[in-house]
Amino acid sequence: MNKLSSQQRKIVYVLIIAILMVPIIFLGMPATGDPGGTGSRGTLARLREEYDLGEQTLGKIDPASTTMNLMLLGMRGVAVNLLWLQMEEQKKTKQWAKMRATTESIILLQPHYLQVWDFNGWNLAYNVSAEWDAVEDRYYWVKEGAKFYMRGVERNKNFAELYFKTGAILGQKIGRSDEWRHFRRFFLDDPLILDPVTKQPKHVPDPVLNPAGKDNYLVAREWYLEANRVEEEHDQHVMMRCLFRSYPARSLLDYADALQREGIFDERARTAWERAFKAWVTEYGQMYFDRPTCRLKQEVNSEEDIEELVRLNRSLDNETYRKATKATVLRELVRTQNITNYRYWRMRALAEAEPDMVAAHRAIYEGEQAFRDADHDKCRRLMLEGLRRLQNVISKPEFRDLAQDNDTVEEAMWAILLWKKSLQLLGEPVPQNYPLKSIWDAYPHFIPQINERLQRLYVE
Amino acid sequence: MTFDPVPFEFGPAILHWAAAFGSFVLVALLVVLGVCTALFGLSGPRLVGQALLRGANDFLRLSPRRVFALAQLTFREAIRRKALLVFAVFAALFMFAGWFLSEAGERTEDQVKVYVSFVLTTVSWLSFAVILLLSCWGLPEDIRLRSLHTVVTKPARRNEIVIGRMLGFIGIGTLIVAVMGLIGYVWIQRQVPPDVPLFCRVPVYGTLTFLDREGRPAERGINTGDIWEFRSYIEGATKARAIWRFPITRESDELILESRFEAFRTHKGKIGQTLQCKFELVNPETGVLVELPTFQVREFHTNLHRIPRKLTYTDPKTRQVRKLDLYDDLVHQGTLEVRARCLDVGQFIGMARPDLFIRLPNRSFAVGFSKAVLGVWLVTVLIVLLGVTASCFVKGPVATLLTFTFLLVGQGFRDLLDRIVAHEQLGGGPLESIYRLVTHLNEQVPLPEGPQYRVMQAIDSVFNNCLWLVQHVVPDFRPFRMSPYVANGFDVPWSAALAPSLAIVLAYVVPCLLIGYFALTYRELEAK
Repeated sequence: MNKLSSQQRKIVYVLIIAILMVPIIFLGMPATGDPGGTGSRGTLARLREEYDLGEQTLGKIDPASTTMNLMLLGMRGVAVNLLWLQMEEQKKTKQWAKMRATTESIILLQPHYLQVWDFNGWNLAYNVSAEWDAVEDRYYWVKEGAKFYMRGVERNKNFAELYFKTGAILGQKIGRSDEWRHFRRFFLDDPLILDPVTKQPKHVPDPVLNPAGKDNYLVAREWYLEANRVEEEHDQHVMMRCLFRSYPARSLLDYADALQREGIFDERARTAWERAFKAWVTEYGQMYFDRPTCRLKQEVNSEEDIEELVRLNRSLDNETYRKATKATVLRELVRTQNITNYRYWRMRALAEAEPDMVAAHRAIYEGEQAFRDADHDKCRRLMLEGLRRLQNVISKPEFRDLAQDNDTVEEAMWAILLWKKSLQLLGEPVPQNYPLKSIWDAYPHFIPQINERLQRLYVE
Repeated sequence: MTFDPVPFEFGPAILHWAAAFGSFVLVALLVVLGVCTALFGLSGPRLVGQALLRGANDFLRLSPRRVFALAQLTFREAIRRKALLVFAVFAALFMFAGWFLSEAGERTEDQVKVYVSFVLTTVSWLSFAVILLLSCWGLPEDIRLRSLHTVVTKPARRNEIVIGRMLGFIGIGTLIVAVMGLIGYVWIQRQVPPDVPLFCRVPVYGTLTFLDREGRPAERGINTGDIWEFRSYIEGATKARAIWRFPITRESDELILESRFEAFRTHKGKIGQTLQCKFELVNPETGVLVELPTFQVREFHTNLHRIPRKLTYTDPKTRQVRKLDLYDDLVHQGTLEVRARCLDVGQFIGMARPDLFIRLPNRSFAVGFSKAVLGVWLVTVLIVLLGVTASCFVKGPVATLLTFTFLLVGQGFRDLLDRIVAHEQLGGGPLESIYRLVTHLNEQVPLPEGPQYRVMQAIDSVFNNCLWLVQHVVPDFRPFRMSPYVANGFDVPWSAALAPSLAIVLAYVVPCLLIGYFALTYRELEAK
């Protein structure tokens, strides 16, 4: 080789490169080139697809991200660490715009790392939004967090967690935070979407988060359904499977509950509870879960259902499951239902759809409005009406557990307290017996708590 | 603003520089005298005196024409070395910047901050890199290729070579920074939507003191637990006040105040309503106190308060309403006192000195942006001074490393350095840190008593003194960071940014010239 001239050596190098290129080209051909799959055409592409390693199979391709990663060669880790430090410093010194921009740079470098999307989405929706005082500003950052998760979903279509967290922001953050009344209203009528000409709010929902203009819980349900769909093929690491898959139905329960919290007690609320019950029982209740001792579903109402589950387990290719008996299935069923609170939500949804229950909520809600307006006579009347209706529901054997339910007890205690205060202000004595007196007597530890609430809301 | 722009004072700075430079010259002279005496005996001091006289003569006979010729040569040489290829990198970055910056939030004001920061950071680091390499490798390369021999054999003095090099590289730096700055300016103008006005606010800052919840004077307000201690807080519905005193230099029909306070809630309060605040204008001499209308604190947004010159005032004793003139009745000895108080019970409002200021008429965005670019240019000048000086006595790679270390320490580690030297950094010096690491001793816990610990701390104090020296030798690059002003919509102030930057550059000119000159004079040019 040493005897070769410089030009000859170069020719040899080129030849070697050309020879090496042949197998690379052959193995690296696109899979579509040979759909039959014979030979080695598209081998690498097929393997990439099989093991979900290709950018395309992970989600939408972002050329900027890929370019950045290639440009940094092996320095990506160093750059990422510096960016994370920078982001924390910017967060500490409340430079929100810069922090947001740094977050973007981080995801360009770590586009397929679940924790990056999760941490930053949560950070924007919860931590950054809490730093702002105006509700509109907080809502802006909650939306930023939700949109961040949605972009995470676009880039990583196989992460069930990201679909789930998007649903959690849209459902729980918007519907359950301290600012929920404002947030839920903004979700339908966004004050931050301005008309480009008049610069006034357009009174429309955010086109990215809520293009169809639905309630936040109903949009959250769609994301949870997607999460369940993806979870069937790709494991999630958020929570137990039987809990994870309950969230689409739980969203409907939350939706119906939110309507009541907002003082909506018409047919809309009743049908919302009916729909929630149906989803809980016929969608979620019919799902099969592999539990430690057997496979089961939670909607089981008779001996025959148990026997059917036993038969199913005995037909499965699992040694433990094949040993399942009625006793083991029953024990596992109770355990699972306790974890998911299945029986409670079933009963609650059924009870809430009762006309008496809807009427009780309405009467108590309107009674409180009357108390606020110092119309104590009306308050007394409405509260008594509400308590009677509530008692009617609780006295039914299928709903007797409601007497121990925190929400129901709190509602009843609150109604009794306002009723007693109204009587006191009207100068009338409290009768010896009144509806749901048993609850009042059974929960004396609740009394200081609701007295404090009364003090805070109506005295101070 | 996330920092307090502290005005620069030339007087103490010049005295400090004179003391530092004088000490340096004295120490250098003593060392040289000692070395020469040791090497050449009694003729050593004479040789030193001759060298100093020759140096003085060279500086007195400096030829601007030759310096200009050498600067021109350096400029051409830099272009020949493809320094201007940096524009290609710059163009590539700007072509794809939209990909990286387009999704940084939806708010236009946030986008503007990101665009301005991006442009100024890109201009800075690209120009720093090019100038650093050029200035550090210029002379060593000439020595290696022996092209410097063609210069030194001409009637050109060594100081002219050093100054010519510096001016040539400064010329290249000026060209690069100017072109990039201009392109960056046009790029920002094109990126920002036309309906978003770009301008630079001109603030007049005052001094800030506090009254605590009992109405007693205090240096700071309450710490509400925020790890960033930039702001301190006043409690609502108490006697707590934040008191600003502003210098009034000119009068107008309307005084505009701008505030940017933070809210801290101890309870939810009224969720749909932000915290409420009120300003009071006080004349400490007459006791006149005029309350301005209550306003809601819009956190992280601009809050403007327009105060008319003619104000209505109700005397608390006589209940008489009378008219007041803002400047005649409330300004006392050229100072306007503004007190802020929080109105919500159990809630707190946080503030720092730059959170309230008098707003003068805006300046154009181009003015503020040009000043920020000027700040970048001043850094390139400083890099040239340091780089060329270093290249006079060490080879290219070492000079690059040395200058880059100066840049890194002065820019990124200056805060840490200051804290260590001021003994504010927990954990002690190197030995104490190692001891704590090995023994898993928390840095908050004091060291045990004992002679061995005292010895350890004594050795650490030597290291600390070395760092003190580093602190005084390495330039402080923090005042040169002017992009936060422009990004936040402020004009770059002369007193807090431009003046200290200029002073730092000027402070390094004479020492760098002297070191460069003497180093090149006595450098063995045959040694590659």
